[in-house]
Amino acid sequence: MNAATLPAVDERADPDTGKMGMWIFLASEVLLFGGLFIAYLYGRTTWPQGWAAASRHTDVVLGTVNTALLLTSSAIVALAVACAEDETRQRWTAGLLWATATLGAAFLAIKGIEWHADWREHLAPTASFAIRVAGAQQFFALYFVMTGLHAVHMAIGVGVLAALAHARAHGRAWARARHVEVAALYWHFVDLVWIFLYPLLYLVERHG
Amino acid sequence: MTSYLDDGLTIRSWLTTTDHKRIAILYAIAITAFFFVGGAAATIIRLELATPQGDLVSHDAYNKLFTAHGVIMVWLFLIPSIPSVLGNFLLPLMIGAKDLAFPRLNLASWYLYVAGGLLTLEALFLGGVDTGWTFYTPYSTMFSNTYVVLTLVGIFVTGFSSILTGLNFIATIHTLRDKAMGWFKLPLFAWAMYATSLILVLATPVLAITVLLAVAERLFQIGVFDPAYGGDPLLFQHLFWFYSHPAVYVMILPAMGVVSEIIPCFARRPVFGYRSMAYAIMAIASVGFLVWGHHMFVSGQSLTASLVFSLLSFIVAIPSAIKVFNWTATLYKGAIRLDAPMLYALGFVGLFTIGGLTGLFLASLALDVHLTDTYFVVAHFHYIMVGGAVMAYFAGLHFWWPKVTGRLYPEVWSRIAAVVVFIGFNLTFFPQFLLGVEGMPRRYHAYPPQFQVLNLFSSAGAGVLALGYLMPLVYLAWSLRGGPRAGDNPWHAKGLEWQTRSPPPTHNFDAPPVVPEIVYDYRADERDPEGAR
Amino acid sequence: MADDSIHSRDFNRSARAIAAAWFALIALMLASLGSAYLKLGPWNMMAGLAIAAVKSAIVAWLFMRLRESGALIRLVALAGPGVWFILLALSGVDYETRHVTRSTLQAPQQLQRSSAP
Repeated sequence: MNAATLPAVDERADPDTGKMGMWIFLASEVLLFGGLFIAYLYGRTTWPQGWAAASRHTDVVLGTVNTALLLTSSAIVALAVACAEDETRQRWTAGLLWATATLGAAFLAIKGIEWHADWREHLAPTASFAIRVAGAQQFFALYFVMTGLHAVHMAIGVGVLAALAHARAHGRAWARARHVEVAALYWHFVDLVWIFLYPLLYLVERHG
Repeated sequence: MTSYLDDGLTIRSWLTTTDHKRIAILYAIAITAFFFVGGAAATIIRLELATPQGDLVSHDAYNKLFTAHGVIMVWLFLIPSIPSVLGNFLLPLMIGAKDLAFPRLNLASWYLYVAGGLLTLEALFLGGVDTGWTFYTPYSTMFSNTYVVLTLVGIFVTGFSSILTGLNFIATIHTLRDKAMGWFKLPLFAWAMYATSLILVLATPVLAITVLLAVAERLFQIGVFDPAYGGDPLLFQHLFWFYSHPAVYVMILPAMGVVSEIIPCFARRPVFGYRSMAYAIMAIASVGFLVWGHHMFVSGQSLTASLVFSLLSFIVAIPSAIKVFNWTATLYKGAIRLDAPMLYALGFVGLFTIGGLTGLFLASLALDVHLTDTYFVVAHFHYIMVGGAVMAYFAGLHFWWPKVTGRLYPEVWSRIAAVVVFIGFNLTFFPQFLLGVEGMPRRYHAYPPQFQVLNLFSSAGAGVLALGYLMPLVYLAWSLRGGPRAGDNPWHAKGLEWQTRSPPPTHNFDAPPVVPEIVYDYRADERDPEGAR
Repeated sequence: MADDSIHSRDFNRSARAIAAAWFALIALMLASLGSAYLKLGPWNMMAGLAIAAVKSAIVAWLFMRLRESGALIRLVALAGPGVWFILLALSGVDYETRHVTRSTLQAPQQLQRSSAP
């Protein structure tokens, strides 16, 4: 029932293959989000006033709180991986994974609150869009697509980490250390995307 | 002795397999079905184009037909064909491994491919899409009244199949090679799979996001691709072609890999310049990422960018040319046998050369202004994709058929079919070069009467080509039902896959294979032991 | 045992590195936030991206363990951004050298609607 009953490393598979597979997958994810960043750059350089006007309507407090939550969750999951690899501390792993998943869920809840507020303020790119500056609507269109795609990735991450935490607490074989490491890599990537989304969406022009 | 084919005889055992060889066959069945659907669309197109008037189908229907043909042939046939069928089957065998690095992911790839394919077919049956396989905006996102979203979603799903397959192959080649097989002992087919996989992993996601944005634009009018909303149609084109140009290298690199396995075997000579062939493969894959703008010369792209892309497009032709020279040099002083695989492979070399050279015409800015969007372009890419990639697929199918099935096919009929395909192909597509130069636009279902003669030749050729494609269906099925048993190595080929039984056991090798000191150690003067054929 | 204390030392080292990284990340986040309130013109975006790049380097190097990884993994990690830069650079050539003159008809449709929601 406890983590000490987890079996030894699977002799058949090279332990690093899973890690390599995840890094290759992350390379593809960079190009997935990368297309959105190109569209963003087009919009920002074509409609600088619209971008600035629109960005000022994002909720910088909630955005900053979310950034802090995500950065912290990355640190916690990194700690979870270190624990999983240490015999005396590996019993902390499940708890740390739960903590990470919880922070991720909190991020998503706050995102939901933000989107709801945006909708109420007529910032969704519909016919009744509120900011009458050229390009502002496009900023928000990209904002929803980018944060939406990011949120989908986060939701998947939360699910995987929660499943891992549960499996670890119940001594399941697939929750071994190197799988925790691979899942953590994915989580860190989701954090990386947000690290760039934060200044690009919330901090375009806050002065004046 | 049992083989992978005996390991579970129920449909369920096939649908839940993680054996790369069975998954390869699952892919083969699926892509063959899609090939004939795409071919049916082409048949109607060529029937329509036999007469100058648009009298067989309406213009809307015609738009939907060439779109269906393009979408199905590119994404549901060409991209998966050699990698997911031959690559899946052969890669572990060629490197002495038991399976791919992630066998369950491999099965997931197949299911994703089938799901995406079915979604695309559903869009077709519901009424189709009329934007062309290129989905240019703002027509596709703001104005078309057809099933754009459903088709794009189908393509999106299929794209993930590609990415996961590429991931699997890269990890496999890095981690599961036999200890004695260094990089420069890898068969060129494996090099080709590696380079193709790099493109699949790095380029396909850009298609995925482009398609996502197009769907969002269509559903919510987000406007990134529409000038009326402050967007840019060229943004779509840059993102689309950033994937779609490397995609053509996904289609041709595996074909080149197949040809590099076949020509040495049937000339009984080691491949000329093995290392330069390997480097050329990697060069094609890398430089192939730098040339996408040559699809946009007349789109409104800046002249500076067009000049840069034109120069880079000339450069990317160089490694391909090196490969053609090396294949030709491999033949020199060889003991050449014109079995079906070799006929297809030689056909590839000739037709790919023509297709490739005509690419240079199109890469020249001034010429492209005249030739773009004409039948010259259509002929160019069909020479490469059909005269090249499809012929290589058939070459590989015939070369490895004995290994995959344990049976031989009738030699005479296979050679006849190869010749019929070659004749039919050239009759179909060579006139199209001439039509293009004379100015006949592509994607038109009606044309001025002076173009009819060449169009008639082309349509007649299409009939011959169709016959050539149907013949293997018949004799390969015959072979499956009761063709003569093949030995382990009917072609006396080198390569680890020939060291195991035909068909192989589930675990691939009964005894660990022996990695030869020299790759492609063929000797033309070697006494050919009692040949199997 | 000696083994345990070696592992403990490894773990403590990791834990300290993680804590230091977290601290740096939060500080950089606040710096980024602060810089947005300064009037820096085009340097606002540069500052934001530069800080983001440093944060990414910390996450990739320390959290994602590129520090301890072999050359192959590092190459894979660079492949994504590298290819993205190709997309940026060559499409950038087009965008930088294309001269667009917008007519009034090309103003985004959102501005053409006369009535409020």
